[in-house]
Amino acid sequence: MTTDYKISEMKMSEEQTGKWGMVIDQDICTGCQACVAACAMENNVTFVGEVDSGYGRSMHWIRIERFWEGEYPEVKMTSNQPMLCQQCGHATCEPVCPAFATVHSQAEQLNLQVYNRCVGTRYCANNCPYQVRAFNWRDYQRPEPLPNQFNPDVTVRRKGVMEKCTFCIQRIHKAQDKAKSEGREVVDGEFTTACAQACPANAITFGRVDDPKSLVSQMARAHGHGVKHLEELGTLPNVTYLKGG
Amino acid sequence: MAEKNKQHQEKSHEEHLREEHLMLDPLPRGQMNDMVMESMNTTSWKFWVVFAILSVIVAVYLFYDWAVLIIEGQGVAGVMRPDYWGIFLVNTVFWIGISHAGTFISAILRVFKAEFRRPFTRAAELMTTFGLVQAGFSVFMHMGRVWIAYWLFPYPNQRMLWPNLHSPLTWDLLAITTYLLSSTMYLFLPLIPDLAMARDRSTGWRKSFYKTLALGFRGTEGEWTHLRNAMNIFAFAIIPVMFSVHTIVSWDFAAATRPGWNSTIFGPYFVVGALHSGMGAVIMVLAIVRGTMKHMKYFIRPEHFEAIGKLMLIISMTWAYFFFNDYMVQWYGGDKWTRQLLHFHEAGPLGWMWFAMLVFNVVIPWSVLWNRKWRSTPWIVFIVGLLINVGMWFERYIIIPVSVTINRMPFTWRLYEPGIEVPMGIGTLAFFILLYMAASRLIPLVPVWEVQEGQMAHAIKKFGRETVVTVSDLE
Amino acid sequence: MSEQFSRRDFLKLAGVGAATTAILTGCGPASRYVKREPYMQMPEYNYNGQSTYYATTCRECAAGCGLIVRTVQGRAIKTEGNANNPLNLGKTCARGQATLHGLYNPDRVTDPIKRSSRGGDSTQTMDWDAALQVVAEALKNNKPEEIAFLMGMAPDHLFDLVTDLAKATGMNSPVRFGALGMFEARATLSKAVENLFGGPGLPFFDIGGAQVVFSFGANFLETWLSPVSYTRGFAGLREALTKQRGKFVQFESRMSQTGGKADEWVPLRPGTEALVALAIGKLASEIRGGAMPRAFADVNPLDVASKSGIKLETLEHLAGMFANSTGALAIPGGAALGQTNGLAVAEAVLALNALSNNFGKPGGVYLSALAPNQTEHQRPASTQEMREFIQKMFDGKIKVLFVHGVNPLFELPTSLEFGGASKTVSQIISFATFPDETAREADYIFPDHHGLESWGYQRVATGSAQPVLSGAQPVVSPYYNTRATADVLIAAAQLAGGKFADALPFKDEVEFLQSKVSSLMNEADGSISGPDLPTFMAYFQQHGGFWKLSDGRGVPNAADVLNRNLSAGEAEFAGEGEFYFVPFVSPTLAEAGANKPWLQELPDPTTTVMWNTWVEINPETARELGLEDDDVVSIISEAGELEVPVYRYPAIRPDTIAIPFGQGHTAYGRYATSMDENGNVIARGVNPADLLGQHYNEAGDLAFAGMKVKIKKTGRKQPLSRLESIMGVYGVGLGEEH
Repeated sequence: MTTDYKISEMKMSEEQTGKWGMVIDQDICTGCQACVAACAMENNVTFVGEVDSGYGRSMHWIRIERFWEGEYPEVKMTSNQPMLCQQCGHATCEPVCPAFATVHSQAEQLNLQVYNRCVGTRYCANNCPYQVRAFNWRDYQRPEPLPNQFNPDVTVRRKGVMEKCTFCIQRIHKAQDKAKSEGREVVDGEFTTACAQACPANAITFGRVDDPKSLVSQMARAHGHGVKHLEELGTLPNVTYLKGG
Repeated sequence: MAEKNKQHQEKSHEEHLREEHLMLDPLPRGQMNDMVMESMNTTSWKFWVVFAILSVIVAVYLFYDWAVLIIEGQGVAGVMRPDYWGIFLVNTVFWIGISHAGTFISAILRVFKAEFRRPFTRAAELMTTFGLVQAGFSVFMHMGRVWIAYWLFPYPNQRMLWPNLHSPLTWDLLAITTYLLSSTMYLFLPLIPDLAMARDRSTGWRKSFYKTLALGFRGTEGEWTHLRNAMNIFAFAIIPVMFSVHTIVSWDFAAATRPGWNSTIFGPYFVVGALHSGMGAVIMVLAIVRGTMKHMKYFIRPEHFEAIGKLMLIISMTWAYFFFNDYMVQWYGGDKWTRQLLHFHEAGPLGWMWFAMLVFNVVIPWSVLWNRKWRSTPWIVFIVGLLINVGMWFERYIIIPVSVTINRMPFTWRLYEPGIEVPMGIGTLAFFILLYMAASRLIPLVPVWEVQEGQMAHAIKKFGRETVVTVSDLE
Repeated sequence: MSEQFSRRDFLKLAGVGAATTAILTGCGPASRYVKREPYMQMPEYNYNGQSTYYATTCRECAAGCGLIVRTVQGRAIKTEGNANNPLNLGKTCARGQATLHGLYNPDRVTDPIKRSSRGGDSTQTMDWDAALQVVAEALKNNKPEEIAFLMGMAPDHLFDLVTDLAKATGMNSPVRFGALGMFEARATLSKAVENLFGGPGLPFFDIGGAQVVFSFGANFLETWLSPVSYTRGFAGLREALTKQRGKFVQFESRMSQTGGKADEWVPLRPGTEALVALAIGKLASEIRGGAMPRAFADVNPLDVASKSGIKLETLEHLAGMFANSTGALAIPGGAALGQTNGLAVAEAVLALNALSNNFGKPGGVYLSALAPNQTEHQRPASTQEMREFIQKMFDGKIKVLFVHGVNPLFELPTSLEFGGASKTVSQIISFATFPDETAREADYIFPDHHGLESWGYQRVATGSAQPVLSGAQPVVSPYYNTRATADVLIAAAQLAGGKFADALPFKDEVEFLQSKVSSLMNEADGSISGPDLPTFMAYFQQHGGFWKLSDGRGVPNAADVLNRNLSAGEAEFAGEGEFYFVPFVSPTLAEAGANKPWLQELPDPTTTVMWNTWVEINPETARELGLEDDDVVSIISEAGELEVPVYRYPAIRPDTIAIPFGQGHTAYGRYATSMDENGNVIARGVNPADLLGQHYNEAGDLAFAGMKVKIKKTGRKQPLSRLESIMGVYGVGLGEEH
């Protein structure tokens, strides 16, 4: 009997794809970088300067990828592809961390990064197929009074620590606390992540993917061309991309 | 005339055997002990010059640069996205590989009673311990926040936080620690009789040094029995540890989702690679020791180079087989990223390294070591061993920074440009040599009792006119 | 202005308890500033983790997007779009997000400064009383007609204040200029509207409602007019849930970020945009049948095909697309207008819309609504008008020049010689917040607050159906010893006395502001109304401005657009080079973003380059010239020469090169500039304004894209910082395929 119970539990974890999720409509993403700037401002992401940013050390938690198809004059820029932590259900970054700094949140179904616990082996980043983790290669300087801008809800990271998109977990917590204090559930669309909030094209939708009535679930279903990146790896990503056109 | 000639020939055949084989060329015990003591106590000015230069290199390249690395962060190294792992881990794998030779020679050859091992088991075991020290240094250099490296160890703490046993790095740490401890024990056990010998033949601080380390060994029958039992247990037990260590190191890569890493053959491939570089390193060390230390030409003879050369040839063939196996299976799999990666290995900007690896690891050993005369010549095998080590370092470089350049996100591909890792890597090499030099003047580099034991067991006997080599089993 | 009430005092007065509401009313003049407290000294109303939000207006460009700024303990933490503001509906662009890096920029001008010699480093800090005296004397001791104001495109309230002052005292009317206006060719748009529809105005294109959008060079997703609002429109065009997904075709010689989103990108030869528009009009008319409109009658599509480098089949295919759509829209803009025939391009493209008869209809062309307290269309000075202004300076007709909100030494073409002209002006007073190039050449800097520390309003020129007046209020107390320029002018006018004092009879800036918006108090159609001025002002601040609830857009009078004779000549190109030169505004930096470190670190949307300037060259051309990525080349125009590293850009015509505008600062703080080995401040990147010559279109806008340039190799290399991987995106360095 106990065995049966365990198997059913495993099945559940296979099927349950997460709690919070995102839909990104690549057809209307204009690549304007507003999400990148908004994320940096919300999450105290540091800038690294010309040399380091040109050497793959930029700290962007979200980056917009674009490629080219064809040759001039039939050249085409592929749809902008904002790439951020996919908050995988079966994240490859999690098991490899020797210090339990990269753990799965049971409550929020998110991949957490515990900055305090991180010893900097960089195994998680190495093992992330989406390459969305950013490592603090140095103590990047933010001269006074720039630190006044820091969001007090988000830890400021120092050298030797891995970081990544958190789905603005501070906003999730704030909304949940508020709802709890008012004795209700969090309403869909009550809050959103910094990137989704800024996006002038509304290309990013954030919400509960375990609620079929939420906007994000409807978006993911309605278009019929939702794609999850590198799904074949079994990572169960929680970000759905709508490939337009 | 003919009779006389034949007698002469007979005699020369015996002499020839003695000249060739250490085991058949016994010296009085006291004389041999004195030779070992003398080789240990003789230091020329050249030794001190090299020692001083290496000390400076270690101080600057290893420790000063490490301080810079800790203060400035990993940014002074060449690592970045997507090459989060760089030369530090290349060196870690490389030094763990080097460390394999010691155990292989002393444990496996001891278990299988390969007699040629006797004079150089200790030289090889020292490499194990000192190589592991460098590997440990390299892995700690790699860490972003090395000052809390102790969090990786399962120490009791109030918050009940334990290292993550799902992580290959934790397995790695446990395996390497086990290996370091057991190989140090295994280095120490056979050293006890020699330390006792040295204690009886020295004065001053050395006397108290050896007295402490010899643990009061007097050479009674009971002590020998216990020692032999312990060594036997260790010799058998350490073999699986050795195999597991590099297999687990390979799991750091094989368990990851990276294209080019996710290969089931990586375990044995890494073990064979480790032996390949380890044997190359042993032969280099022996060539140097024989050339620079007093009396060592008596203990280390061309027969030893010849025997190790044969082993190297076989290991090189095995390595080539596993390399082909790994390549073929990955290529056959046809995954688009893996194919891109394999293409990048050969045709990318570091394609020369890939070809150099094959030349150094396969072409050169195969074309040199098949010849008995060549593989008996110390300087030739020294060069072959050096090239194998360069080739194996290249192999690790290709597996780590070159391979992680290619991942499933082409937008992030970038070529690794090493920074402070290079001087720090040179620092670990210097530190290895420095430790070895210090050890060569502090402990008997040749296990005298083992050589004497072997010589007791071997004899040249005459049956009629035939000269026959006999071996008796002592144990 | 004088008293600093803490928010705590205000709350006591207002009788509000613990602040748990999300949006607090921005307060009346009594509590003009919020007090900054250390985190350790929390006032009792401030719970840990609770924020206070203020509505204000973004000042990073002149569009006038509404912001909600989150503050904690008097520190501005995050800017969000104001969801109520009809212009941006809660959205911001990257520059709006990074405005905090302006507020907290370590290189701000902290005190009033007197400079010993122009351009020199030796400065002397003054106190504000002395500074006011300097301004008062400048006003008093010069003839009014010898005093001039040069102002930026924002903020509008200060412009109104100076305009009033000028009107009452006989000073020169303030001249407004901004590089964005120059690159948008606003004067051309306005002139074309006037020519076609009878009166000046700024056209508004309802992209969201259209089915097919033909854009001739309009970079409406980047910096053009009102990018946030146009991006929303673009999203509406693509919206495929409720209607068919709209098609978008971009005509331009260099693929812009906007062009990158196009379904079809048509790389026509620069200067042939008008011809192509007319040819498409003609072909489309043929498909539609009926009489051929006079506007398109004279054009020969075959001829156009050969001149523009577009195949006739392509033209026919595009014309079919345009003709067969029920909601086709054509937009002129960007570099297409910055040519000698720019006005003709604007007219020809606007006329195309007459074919789909979309004027004043959803998915069509409107005239932008005038802001609530605006009576007539305003536009910044065209570059030709700036030339006249500079000529006046050369002629010695201007003795005192006040500069606010604009950096002419950086933004104007170098060939206009503003620098030379400024030497003939005896006194230059800058109100710059940042130590920019012009402030370096000024005798005094009397720093204004940062936009987030300021009062004000901005009239929304275009982008919203409703007329919008975006209101600004300080969200933090000023960090430094700066003072609002409006306050400075009001106080100095009082000191100067006479007609100056009479012209500005206000206690301070806030009182002036109230006088300007009080007329809106009882508008029936308004988003807010109040029984008295303080209440109305409180709402004005709380909601971030005032807007009307009805659609205020005008319907263009397009009766005889198609019956006009449209000139369709080709543009003329100045200079002897073999490459068309297209300068474009960096979408992330725009004209004043270079000092914000996170804007520098944002990858350019098309090339992903950060922190520097590049020149885009077609890979084929680069191969012919023997150029690789990162090779520094010298670009030589008739007006100047620049050295800039190469980016081999796959989506640019082989006969065209392009350089972004936005970098190349020699002053403007540590992030906008760079340092050489010896620690000297040098320019970061280059400024393409150095290459621009003096050629104008008929509307007086600069023909910035009307030049031909030469390329010379220098043999040097300078690596560009790219976010993208050259290997992964372009296959460079991966090894030959076999």
